[in-house]
Amino acid sequence: MMGRVGHVGLNALVGIPLVGSLLVTIGIGLFWMPYDPIAIDLAHPLGSPGLHHWFGTDEFGRDVLSRSMLGSRISVLIALATVAVAITLGTALGLLAGYLRGWTDRLLMMMTDAVLAFPGILLALALIAVFGSSDGSIILALSTAYTPSVVRVVRATVLSIREREFIEASRSVGDSPLETIVHHILPNVLPPVVVLATSLFGWAMLSESALSFLGVGVPPPAPTWGNMLSQSRPYMDVASWLSIVPGLCIAGTLLGVNLLGDALRDWLDPRKT
Amino acid sequence: MLSYICKRLALTLPTLVLVSIAVFLIIRLIPGDPALVLLGEGADGAALAGVRADLGLDRPLPVQFVSWLQHALRGDLGRSIVSGEPVAGLILQRFGLTAAVVLVAVTAATLIAAAAGLTAAWRRNSALDLAVVGTATVVLAIPSFWLGLVLLLLFGLKLGWLPFVGYIPFSESAVQALLFLVMPVVTLTITESGVLTRMMRSSSIDVLQLDYVTHARAKGLSERVVLTRHVFPNAFAPTLTLVGLTLGHLLGGIAVIETVFTLPGLGRLMVDSVLARDYPVVQGCLLFTAVVYVVVNLLVDLCYPLFDPRVTAR
Amino acid sequence: MARSSHVAHVLGTLAVSGALALGLVAWQVAAAGTVLRARFKSDIVSTSPGTRRDENTDAVLLHVVEGLVASREDGSPAPMLASRWTVSADGRIYTFTLRPDVIFHNGAPLTAAEVIWSLQRYLKPQTRWRCLAEFGEHGIARVASITAPDPHTVIITLDRAAPMFLTTLVRADCGGTGILHPDSVDADGNWRAPIGTGPYEMGEWRHNQFVELNRFARYSPLPGARDGNAGGKHALVDHIRFLIIPDSSAARAALIRGSLDILDNLAPSELTGIRGRPDLEFQQVPILDCYALLIQTRDPLLSDVRLRTAIALTIDTVGLTKAITWGTGTADNSPIPVASPFHGPVEAHLRKPDVGEARRLVRAAGYDGRAIQLVTSRRDPQMFDIAVVIQAMAAEAGIHLQIDTVDWPAHLSLYTVGNYQLMVQSFSARLDPTLSFGIFIGDKREDPRKVWDTPRSRELLGQTMASADSAARQALFDTLTRDFLAEVPAVALFNSSRLSVVRSNVTGYRNWTAAQQRLWGVGLN
Repeated sequence: MMGRVGHVGLNALVGIPLVGSLLVTIGIGLFWMPYDPIAIDLAHPLGSPGLHHWFGTDEFGRDVLSRSMLGSRISVLIALATVAVAITLGTALGLLAGYLRGWTDRLLMMMTDAVLAFPGILLALALIAVFGSSDGSIILALSTAYTPSVVRVVRATVLSIREREFIEASRSVGDSPLETIVHHILPNVLPPVVVLATSLFGWAMLSESALSFLGVGVPPPAPTWGNMLSQSRPYMDVASWLSIVPGLCIAGTLLGVNLLGDALRDWLDPRKT
Repeated sequence: MLSYICKRLALTLPTLVLVSIAVFLIIRLIPGDPALVLLGEGADGAALAGVRADLGLDRPLPVQFVSWLQHALRGDLGRSIVSGEPVAGLILQRFGLTAAVVLVAVTAATLIAAAAGLTAAWRRNSALDLAVVGTATVVLAIPSFWLGLVLLLLFGLKLGWLPFVGYIPFSESAVQALLFLVMPVVTLTITESGVLTRMMRSSSIDVLQLDYVTHARAKGLSERVVLTRHVFPNAFAPTLTLVGLTLGHLLGGIAVIETVFTLPGLGRLMVDSVLARDYPVVQGCLLFTAVVYVVVNLLVDLCYPLFDPRVTAR
Repeated sequence: MARSSHVAHVLGTLAVSGALALGLVAWQVAAAGTVLRARFKSDIVSTSPGTRRDENTDAVLLHVVEGLVASREDGSPAPMLASRWTVSADGRIYTFTLRPDVIFHNGAPLTAAEVIWSLQRYLKPQTRWRCLAEFGEHGIARVASITAPDPHTVIITLDRAAPMFLTTLVRADCGGTGILHPDSVDADGNWRAPIGTGPYEMGEWRHNQFVELNRFARYSPLPGARDGNAGGKHALVDHIRFLIIPDSSAARAALIRGSLDILDNLAPSELTGIRGRPDLEFQQVPILDCYALLIQTRDPLLSDVRLRTAIALTIDTVGLTKAITWGTGTADNSPIPVASPFHGPVEAHLRKPDVGEARRLVRAAGYDGRAIQLVTSRRDPQMFDIAVVIQAMAAEAGIHLQIDTVDWPAHLSLYTVGNYQLMVQSFSARLDPTLSFGIFIGDKREDPRKVWDTPRSRELLGQTMASADSAARQALFDTLTRDFLAEVPAVALFNSSRLSVVRSNVTGYRNWTAAQQRLWGVGLN
C-alpha cells in the first residue's frame, strides 16, 4: 500500500531522470553538438535517421539532433525567463493588491481581469508584431499573459492570512507595512507560488512551442522545438521523424517538469496527497 | 437572481471597455497598413489613399474608436477589410464550428474525467488509481498540436481511416463533415481530460474523507448510492469550475488545433485577421470572446450552488 | 433526487447547445449539371473587375468579363470584343470596331454605349480602378476623349502616342479593362454584380467556401484556338466551382479523394505523394514571375557597389534555384523572365559564383563584419527558404546577414517605404519586359519601392515605352540587362513554374505564363 512518501517518491523517480536528461543535454550542448545546427547542406535534404545523423536531417540538410539540442537550450531559457518575470511581477502586484486592498486592489484586479479576458494568442501575436520577432518580445508576450494568474494566486493567499493573529501582532508591535509583508506574509505566500512556478514553466514552454508552431515564435534560423514542429508539416508524409522528434522532446520535458512539480507540492503540503 | 446577474454583468463593463481600447490601440500600433495588404505590392499612392479613405482609416484615432463603439453597441461590428463581409456574421459562423468542437470535446472530457477521477479516488492507491493518475499526467504533458499531428499522421496518412485535414461544411455532406471533425474533437478531448481527471480525483478524495460520507456508509446505504448521490455532486463542484474556466478559455478560440486540422474556426479567424491587419475583425473577435468568457464564468458561478449547497450565490 | 436531476439538467443544456451550435452550420442543396471543381488558397476579395482585387479575384473575373482586347500567351494584345482596330499615324487615336454578335449576361447586346460607359467608369476616381494611374500625371498618356460615331465603333483619343496603351488595357490586374453592362451597378453607382460578356456568368459566392460560375449559354466564342486570354473560349461544363481550401495538404487530399478536379499552384515540396498516381496528371508551366533579392542602395553600407557585387557573387543561382524549387524553377539573373519572348542570349547570362572574388571585394569595400539585415516573410515557403540559403551562402565570404522574419503586412510596409537593407521579394507575372523592369526602375524620392534609381536606367525604360518596334526594344532591354548585372541594385534569382495536378478525366486544362487559372476549354469526361 503506497502512502504519502510513496507518491512523492514515484513522481520524483520518473521526473528526475526526465528533467535530468534535459539538463544534461543542455549542458553538453553548451560545449559540443554533433553538427552546426544552422549549417545547411542542400545536397542531403530530408535524410532519414541513421549512423551519420541519429535523428536525420531536415529540408535544408541540417542535423535534427543538433537542432534539438540547441532548441532545448532556447526553449528552456525562454520559459525560465518568462517564469522569472511573471513570478516577480505577479508576486509584487499580488502582495500590493492583497495587503493594501481598497482602490489599489480594485484597479489591479480590473487590469488583471482585462488581461485574462484577452485571448492569449491575440495578445502574444500583437505584442510580437509590435516589438518584432525576437526572444525578448516572446518573453514579454508570455509574461504579460501569465502574470495575472500569479497576481490572483498571491492575492488570494494574502487575503486568507492577513487577518490572522501573527499579522495583527506584527502590526501592533510597530512593524511598517513593508516589514510585515516581507517578514510574515511573504514566507507564507512562497509555497503556493513555488508550486505555481513549476506549472508556469510547463505552460510557458507549451505556449512558446505553440507560438512557434503558428509561425510567430523565435525567428530563424534559430531552432526551437515548436518551430521545428511547424516546419515539419509539409514533409509529414516523407519525413515523419521531423514531426516526431521535437514533439517527443516537448512532451518528455513537460512530463518531467509536471512530475517534479507534483512531487514538490506533495512534499510541501502533505495533506493534499 | 436577475438583479444579481445584471449587477455582475455591469461590473464587467469597465473591463470590456478597457479591453476594447487596448485592442484598438495595439492592433494599430503594429506596423502594417490594411490598405496596402489589400492592394498588394504594385499599388500606387493615390489608390492607397483612396482605399484608406474608404475604410475610414484616415480619420483621427479617437473618432475611429467612438464610431466603432457606437456601432458595436447596436450590434454592428462593421465589415471585414479583407472580404467585405459583415464581421458579426463572420464571427458567429466561425464560432459555430469552434463551439461545436469545443462543446463536444469538453463534454466528453468531463464525462471521462468524472468517471475516471471518482473511480480512482474510490480505489485509492490501487493499480487502477496509479494507471489513471499516470495516464492523466502523461496526457497533461502532451502538446495538443503535436497530438493532433500524430493522430493526423497515423489515421489520416498511414492508415487512411479518417479524412486528412480540411473541412467540408454540412451543406456538402453531413457524414463527411462529421468525419472531418472526429480527429480534432478526439485530440481536444484527450488533451483536456488530463487536468480534469486529476482535479476530479483530488476533490473526490477530499469528499470521501468527510464525516457525512462515513455517516452514509454507516447508515447502511449501498456503495453505489453513496458514490452517486453523496460523493459525486459535491466532488464535482470544483471540477465544474474548472470546466467553466476551460470552456471560457477554449471558446475564445482553439487556434492551434484549428491550424493543425485547418478548420475555419474562431481561433484561426483571429490569427489570420491579425496577420492581415483586418482591424474590424480583430476588434470584433476580441469583444466577442471577452463577452463569451464573462458569460460562461457567470453561468458556472450560477451552477455552482447546484452542486455544493454550502455555497450560495452572493 | 433534485440534485441529480439538476446535474442532468446542466449536462443536458450543454448537449443541446452543442447540437444548436452544430445546427448553426446551414443546410443547402447542391447544383445540378456538370461541375468542374478547382481550388484557391484564399477567398476572392470582390466581384468588381480591376478594383478591389488580388490574383484569384482576377482569375475568376476574367471568366466573366472581357475587354476590347485580350492578352495572347506571348503578351501581345489580340482582338476580343473589338474585332479589329486601327491606330492613327501620330499614334494617338485608336479606332475599335466592335464585334456584332456579342450579348451581355442579361441578354442586352453589346454596343458602343456600354463600352463608353464602362471605360468612363474606370476613369472615375471613385471606382478605384487599379490602372487609373497609368492614365494620369505619371502614366503612359491621358485619355482626351472616348466617342462613338456609330453603335459599333469606339474611338479613344489619347493626349500623346502611347505604344503601351493596349498592353495596359489587357493587364489582368486592370480586370482586363472588362466591359460591363450598366446594370452591374445600382442607381447610386454602388457595385452590384458583374454583368459581362464572358463564357461564364457570376454565380454564388459563398464566402470562404467557394465561388461558383455558371455557363452562359448565349456566348459566341471567337474562331480559333485558345491563346492566353484571347482566342476561342468555350464553356465545356455547366458550372465551375472554385473551392477555397487554405491548407495544401487538405487540397491534395481532396484531389486524391475526388472532391477536387484541378489543383493548381502546388508548392514544389508538395509534389511527393502525388506524382506517379495513375488517376492524376502532372503539369509544369514556366511563368513570368520573378523572385529577387532587393538591395537598398541608399544604405551607407550597401551604397558601395563592391559590397553589392560581393553579395551577388556568393550566390550560386543555379544551386539555390534547384534546391528551393525542387528543380521546377529556372535560374534567371535578368529581370526579364525566361519564358518571355524577349529573353535572349544577353538575358540568359548567369553570374558565375566566385567566393574568392567576393572576399576580395569585401575587403576592398572595408566591410567590418557587422550584421546586415535581410528581411523576409513566411508568405510563401520559397521566400523564407531563399533567405535561409542566401544567409548561408553569404557567410562563406564573411558577409554576416541577419534574417528578420516579419509577417506579410509588415513586409509590404517595409517594401513600400524602402525601410530595409536587404529584402527577399517575389513579383507576380508581368507580361511585358517594360513592366518587369518597371518593378525595379524609378525615382526613389517619388516611389521608394524602386531599387534602381539612375538617370540612365530611367531614360532607357522610357524609351522602351515609347517604341513599338520589337527589335529596337530588344536592344534596349539588352542594354538594361547588362547595366543591371553590373550595377547590382538587386539580384534577380529565378522564375518559378506553375505546378498543377489534374484528375485524368479532366480534358484541356493548361495554366499559362501569366499564372492564371483558365477554365474555359476545359471539360470533364
